[in-house]
Amino acid sequence: MNKHPARDEILGQVRAALGRRAETSVANVPASARVGPRQAGDANGEIEMLLGEIAKLGGNPRHLESKADLEAALENLVHEEGVKKATMWQTSELKELGVAEYLGTLGVEMISPHADRDQLADCDLGVTGVDAALPETGTLVLRSNPEKPRLVSLLPRVHLAILYPPLLDADLGTVLDKLRDDSCVTFITGPSRTSDIELTVTIGVHGPKALHVWIVEKTDRS
Amino acid sequence: MSAIPTHIDFRRNVQSVEPQVPASVRKATTRFLDTRAAVVDVIGQESWQALRQAGHDVRLHTINHLDYYLARLEEEVTRAGGHVHWARDAQEANRIVLEIAQEHRVKRVVKAKSMVTEEIGLNRTLVDAGVQTLETDLGEYIVQLAGTGPSHIMVPAIHLTKEGIADLFREKLGLDALPEAARLAALARAQLRQEFLAADMGITGANFLVAETGTLVLVTNEGNGRMCTTLPPLHVAVAGIDKVVPDLESLNVLLKLLPRSATGQKMSAYTAFITGPRRTEEENGPKEFHLVLLDNGRTIILQDEITRETLLCIRCGACLNVCPVYNHVGGHAYGFAYSGPIGAILLPQLVGTKVAADLPFASSLCGACADICPVKIPIVEILLRLRRRVVEGDTVEPAVSPATLRLGVQMVARAMSIPWLYDLAGQLLRIAQAPFRRGAWLPSLPPPLNRWTMARPLPALRADWRAAWRRRTPEGRTRQRRIRIALVAALASAAAYVGWRLIQRQDRGE
Ligand code: SF4
Repeated sequence: MNKHPARDEILGQVRAALGRRAETSVANVPASARVGPRQAGDANGEIEMLLGEIAKLGGNPRHLESKADLEAALENLVHEEGVKKATMWQTSELKELGVAEYLGTLGVEMISPHADRDQLADCDLGVTGVDAALPETGTLVLRSNPEKPRLVSLLPRVHLAILYPPLLDADLGTVLDKLRDDSCVTFITGPSRTSDIELTVTIGVHGPKALHVWIVEKTDRS
Repeated sequence: MSAIPTHIDFRRNVQSVEPQVPASVRKATTRFLDTRAAVVDVIGQESWQALRQAGHDVRLHTINHLDYYLARLEEEVTRAGGHVHWARDAQEANRIVLEIAQEHRVKRVVKAKSMVTEEIGLNRTLVDAGVQTLETDLGEYIVQLAGTGPSHIMVPAIHLTKEGIADLFREKLGLDALPEAARLAALARAQLRQEFLAADMGITGANFLVAETGTLVLVTNEGNGRMCTTLPPLHVAVAGIDKVVPDLESLNVLLKLLPRSATGQKMSAYTAFITGPRRTEEENGPKEFHLVLLDNGRTIILQDEITRETLLCIRCGACLNVCPVYNHVGGHAYGFAYSGPIGAILLPQLVGTKVAADLPFASSLCGACADICPVKIPIVEILLRLRRRVVEGDTVEPAVSPATLRLGVQMVARAMSIPWLYDLAGQLLRIAQAPFRRGAWLPSLPPPLNRWTMARPLPALRADWRAAWRRRTPEGRTRQRRIRIALVAALASAAAYVGWRLIQRQDRGE
């Protein structure tokens, strides 16, 4: 009995059209279809490039040198964006930075990232780390796992992504290679946008309305 | 019921294009071409051309080994915990999706933009079965409210003004809004937020399917794609079998080409890589992931070695932007989901050369589309091949007799392969049409061409519009320069010949 008539018929027709037999394997992908990785520049240049691209896209990038810088920036953000409720990834890096505690002292209510979606949608701020970044395009790479729920960067009104300089990767290819085993990886390049109405660029359609990206110098971690 | 049209009458459709359409279409296409040119400049012409070649090579390799990569994809998606379904045609695909929906008692579906579900008419199937189905891409949401189809791959509501959209919101949603883009977008955001949170199923297409890892790649800007693949407990992706790519390395090439060619972005705001359903209970994301692989005529396209390359398309829309015909008429004239040059070559193959007999002729063969295509699809050759198939299939309407047309097609094919000859022919035609010209039209022509003008006037060949179109891209400008040199050379030799004859006559004392 043929359990998969559609599958077998489609594959059969493909093979007939191409003149291939079922057991025919495949030649390697042609070498001409490969492009080499971009040469990485010096670390500072990469940081500047990343932040520059993000700014061009309507994001708000900052380069923070110390813990005092970070706290001042958080205070500013809470004030400017009117943050009352926030949620955050539960990674050790973010915990070490003490972001949640500091937000608490600013009077922000912290919601668990595993809270139900209505509560998360109600948050003003979602704080995530970044797993890799592509300076050339201003792209942040966010993985997904129990510590790093996908909704934190999606539902709250404002997304704050905090990263360390060593995470800057030179090329899409190198980054993609690291991500083989994840169920979901998201590349974020600037805030959510549309040009669907008369081509007017509008920031913040379905995703967060604002994207803040802070590079924090690692020397400052406890 | 299938959404496949039974006849596409391009010329009649063109006549019902609303007068404001060409201007708004051109505004968008010009913007995209400008931003594209800027990001291509950053990469540099030489690297860009190398990237295009790489894109072409990897796509062609995949299509030439499609059975292998499809089988591999199925294996990997299944390994990641997803379910793979195969659909021979639109009806089967619709049935599969509906069955999944019914099995899970789905009441509300949210959809991200997908050309292929447009192709199979999925929305109608779901709505007819009582499942609320909502487009969530802002442009698609608007055209769904308006009850029309999308008119551009990238900006579906390109034919509507903000005043028109504000009226639509008032009429259909009972919402009062100032006709400002930001306000209208905010209204749609609020409406759709509730729908995302309440939906039982998310439906998306796929930009790419990576065989090696079983990964679905979705390129979006608004974030609605992420909503559809993260919030509902069930995610169904529908994709043509041509969407597969071998591995992450080849994906790298295509991801560099797609957003740059499509919207002139270095990268779209969100690119999601989805491999199966969520892995653990704490994680966000759908509990179940289904992939429907659709043939719907694609295996037939494979049979013709020349037109096969149609399947390399990554749906960037660049060929629409650069096409003089598309810029004149917009997307609806093509009568179905795909428009512009890609529509002109894909539709006749999908729905049959009988149904879409007009479309391979809805082109001036100027070649701008092939020059800009990021995966170097030989669109002009495919158009000519399809014209031939239309004619030899004897399905052309009898305005011009098939025999004459066949000769004409052969002549054009020959002339097209020699650019200066084609250009010279164009110049001569422009001179020859002068006595018959009334404004922009040729209302009547002498036999045998009157068989056309009896039915409808023929637009006059305008000033050198091909040159103007070419100048819109750097590649075109180079080509234009070459043609000009060829033309000057041709005219110079003609003048030399005439001069030589005159001297001969004088010598003979005539
Ligand atoms: S044919 Fe080429 S240019 Fe046109 S949409 Fe497809 S990939 Fe883009």
